[in-house]
Amino acid sequence: MKMQRSIPGERGKAIARASAITAVAALSIGSLVGCTPSSDGSGGGTSDTLKVLIAQPQEGAGQILKEEFEKKTGKTVDVTVVPYDQIQTKALLDVQSGTNQFDVIQYWYTSVGALADGGALQDITDYVDSDEEIDKADFLTNIFDAYTQYDGKTYGLPIDGDAHVLFYNKEIFERNGVEPPATWSEYLQVEKTITENEKEDGVYGAAELGAKNAFNIGSTFFNRLATFSDGPIDSEMPDLTSDAALDAAQAMLDAAPYALPSPLEIGFEQALPQFLAGNVGMMEFWTDLGTFAQDPSQSKIVDKWGVVPLPVGPEGRIATALDAGWAIGISPSASNEELAKDFIKFASSPEMNEQLITTTGSGVDPIRTSTLEGEAYKAFAPEVSEVAAQVLPNAQPWPTSPDAPEMISALNDNLALMLQGNLTPQEAMQKTQEAWEAI
Amino acid sequence: MANVTSERPGAARVTRSSGRRSSPSGSFRAGRRLGWLMLAPVVIAVLVIAAYPLVYTLAASFSESTLGRPFQEWIGFDGFVEVFTDPAQFATLWRSLVFAIPSATLALVVGFFVALSLDVAVKSGKVVRVLLLLPLMTPPVMAGVIWKLMYAPTGGLFNNLLNGTTLVTEPVLFLGTSPSAMISLIVVDVWQWAPFCVLLIYAALQTLPTEVYEAAQIDGAGVFRTFGSITFPLIQVSLITVFLLKVVLSFKVFDLVFIMTAGGPGLDTTVASFSIYKTALQEFNLGTAAVQTIAFLVLVTIVITPISIYRSRLQKSEG
Repeated sequence: MKMQRSIPGERGKAIARASAITAVAALSIGSLVGCTPSSDGSGGGTSDTLKVLIAQPQEGAGQILKEEFEKKTGKTVDVTVVPYDQIQTKALLDVQSGTNQFDVIQYWYTSVGALADGGALQDITDYVDSDEEIDKADFLTNIFDAYTQYDGKTYGLPIDGDAHVLFYNKEIFERNGVEPPATWSEYLQVEKTITENEKEDGVYGAAELGAKNAFNIGSTFFNRLATFSDGPIDSEMPDLTSDAALDAAQAMLDAAPYALPSPLEIGFEQALPQFLAGNVGMMEFWTDLGTFAQDPSQSKIVDKWGVVPLPVGPEGRIATALDAGWAIGISPSASNEELAKDFIKFASSPEMNEQLITTTGSGVDPIRTSTLEGEAYKAFAPEVSEVAAQVLPNAQPWPTSPDAPEMISALNDNLALMLQGNLTPQEAMQKTQEAWEAI
Repeated sequence: MANVTSERPGAARVTRSSGRRSSPSGSFRAGRRLGWLMLAPVVIAVLVIAAYPLVYTLAASFSESTLGRPFQEWIGFDGFVEVFTDPAQFATLWRSLVFAIPSATLALVVGFFVALSLDVAVKSGKVVRVLLLLPLMTPPVMAGVIWKLMYAPTGGLFNNLLNGTTLVTEPVLFLGTSPSAMISLIVVDVWQWAPFCVLLIYAALQTLPTEVYEAAQIDGAGVFRTFGSITFPLIQVSLITVFLLKVVLSFKVFDLVFIMTAGGPGLDTTVASFSIYKTALQEFNLGTAAVQTIAFLVLVTIVITPISIYRSRLQKSEG
């Protein structure tokens, strides 16, 4: 029996070694093949199908773009929709894994540096500069620069100029004898008055987006930073030790106790239905809220709402922050680069931007001077368009460098700790600044 | 001398004569080769599923890596120094422990009592057993969404019920305050996984020998005596096994945290699995995420090893 085991044991080891070596070799080759972008698939192809990666909040816009582009060109557009907080990861992994599934990628503009640095976006500087049909000069300069530029090169074109303004419920304001606030200290007073008067009935002065993700707590902070600042914010590295940053954090903290409970649990998904149900006095939100508020199928406040620019700080100016804007770029391994270029030009064209900003539920805001000031937008959203025209040209960008995702995450964590009561505004800003410098 | 021949059914013949070793026959070698060839897919599968990710994680932990550009630079132990000198990382591991042990213990206790009740009271209660399994069959994401709605401060089921009483004047912030958020998560986890424990413990209870119970009954042992002297000692190994499994499952919690709290309020529910996800897929810092993963692996190993050893000893002492 012993003999029986010993001979095959030695041979078995040899065979096992051979199997292991074969397997490792197969794996390595597979990995190398997988990790190397195909050299023949990038750009030179003539595929008639364009694969486009779209963020979930922009699904409506994605469908419109697909239909209109197919109608215009006769080509096929396959739209893949993913949750908004996973689109950057999906785009990077698509290139990194060698899957190369997508030709065109929609991205949240703050990740332009990370995506470009990670090789998920193609440098299209020459194309954008040379193609007159793109009409680069018509884009709002602040939006174009923040959404598309990294290291002096252009990596995409804007399609949605998301920014916050202040919506308010006229009935609640009248009941409480208050006016729309022009400064953040007035905002606090109005919020406090309404909450103290009507909290028993489930009505609160404001909804403060404090849920711990960038689109919520980050927007709430950057709205204040933009309007407390007396000048432009450095999008590479905003100075969080400045008075404006400290005041912005303090204003968030001051407003929290009177806001719809509790800010740390309130994201835009929770705040929107409460505002539309008439339970919230005022709310910073994206401009397309105006169209939802006029839709009787989901709103109890049709014709009972108003909109004004965000309040400002003592030294501040009328402005806003570019909260959650979207751009569109081309994957370096696009199967048909020319078709992809045509698509992004089409998606960011004045005609499409006008169509999207005048379509309920598209979730798209103006990106161009011509559409922001155009008659179609004014007719479609008269109140909102007036305010958007005041604030969008001054809208301040968030960080956009390759480190921006990490920077924004650190900021969110410290702001959440501040709202929770574990950090003072000063500590939150100081810790974030230190973290940013370490990054 | 007579030849000695292996008689193992199905095995190739191996001969031994006059104390001299003879080489295996050609058919034996061919059979062995075929055997190993057939094993190759398994070997490859193990390498792909287990070894490759482990090697990749180890390599990433010693390098400057982002999601877009992995393995940019070899940094040695710098990543480890950074993580292991950061108190926030220890706090994250501690929160994983704070979640895992109570949730596993509670799920086990609840599961044990429900399984005992089922065993005693509902001998043929298939419908009851299926109903009890419903939480387990609910996708964790759905469970998270449903419970988040029930916990909501405005319009949530629990706050609506509480508002109808004189117990509260303000909405209760189940997910917005500390330590309520962690407790609320543990409650949901126990709700979801206690049926898993019920299932396993109930199955174990069915294997207990009836003769022992009959003997105890003849000797006049009461319910508690029977439980303390027979049921519990006999089921102990199974309980420890279930606990071990549940601890591992609890350490891996992600869906509930992602859906219900996103790690908040503040960082109160930022457990290790969520922190690793955030570092790798939101901050794109693959190198640090790899170190965090290794630290997490060490913690889980430290926790489950004594449980596993205790279980083995118990099993040996019984056997």
